[in-house]
Amino acid sequence: MAHLDFDVYEVFAQPDSMSPHVHVFNVLASSPDMALALAEENFFRRESYTNLWVVRRDHIHQLGFKDRDGFQKTVKSYRTTDDYKYLRDKWRYYREHPMRPGGGEASERVDD
Amino acid sequence: MNGWTTEEVKESPEILEMLADLLFQLADDDFVLGYRDQEWLGLAPHIEEDVAFGSIAQEQIGHATFYYHLLESLGVGRADDLASLRPGEQRRNAVLLEQPNGENGDFLNQPHFDWAWTIVRHYLYDVWDIARLNLLKESRFVPLAEAAEKILGEKRYHRAHQELWIRTMAKHDTLSRQKLQKALGEAFGWVGDLVSFGRFQGRLEEHGVITSVEPAVRRYWVEVQDFLRSEGLIVPEVSSVMNGRLGEHTDALGEALARLSEVYRLDPSASW
Repeated sequence: MAHLDFDVYEVFAQPDSMSPHVHVFNVLASSPDMALALAEENFFRRESYTNLWVVRRDHIHQLGFKDRDGFQKTVKSYRTTDDYKYLRDKWRYYREHPMRPGGGEASERVDD
Repeated sequence: MNGWTTEEVKESPEILEMLADLLFQLADDDFVLGYRDQEWLGLAPHIEEDVAFGSIAQEQIGHATFYYHLLESLGVGRADDLASLRPGEQRRNAVLLEQPNGENGDFLNQPHFDWAWTIVRHYLYDVWDIARLNLLKESRFVPLAEAAEKILGEKRYHRAHQELWIRTMAKHDTLSRQKLQKALGEAFGWVGDLVSFGRFQGRLEEHGVITSVEPAVRRYWVEVQDFLRSEGLIVPEVSSVMNGRLGEHTDALGEALARLSEVYRLDPSASW
């Protein structure tokens, strides 16, 4: 063959309109249209889906290995909802004792 | 006009005869082209395409199976026998569809198949079959009208697939373009009987089994010409060597039937 202008296309499928597109596999194809047609017939014969994306693999950019070190975070519990569980008890206390200032186990801990 | 059920058709030999002739056209078209398609298995241009085209072949055979079963329900014969044992002169498929996939059409021995020809032939068939199914959706024979709707969905993918390949080959390079143009010349030499409905066409229309054939045929040629011209291809003259709808066929059909029924003929009563 003189030249084969084929590219790898990564295929993303959306199972229903409320879900995000998820990477599923890749196909070798000569154009984006061909990649879509081949993805449909190769991998979605039995499953239903609402949409498909194909992206040429060399159009996807990723972090280098060194840059990924930035993902390792120090512990900052105040950035997670778990750290605010005591608020639930505090709210319950105020609902149950509308006229009383302060109170509740958790809030007592905070106030004291 | 009131709709016909299977039972009503069975009561009238005259209606059964013309309806069976139409169903054989539909079944044999899908069956013989499905056979040609599956000869490509393992030989298509690349692996993804092999799977895609194999699946189109499977759907062709699936549609044929449906029509043969409809004939069985009308008491015409066992579906498997109708598909495998009827001799060529009883077949009603268009002659274009029985032609080999290339000049050396033997898939077991150096299959130098022609992809451009395969795609062009399939494209001409798919566009017509969609037009035909759109007419059949309104058919007076209720089981056929109901099936047409379901079958149309898959045909639309087939058509999109063939159009995509024609577009790709038309713009790729001089060689692929020449092959496409050559395939068109050959296909148009056979295509004439594709858009006809055999010896009962008049009566089928009178009884409302299929209606508005003439305008559908006109629209078909306009659609095909517009598409091919938009891809910069020259549209050849339509001609017709023989009429498959009347049971006239080339030797290619006999060879295909002998091969596809080879195993079935060993023991037609075997349970698969």
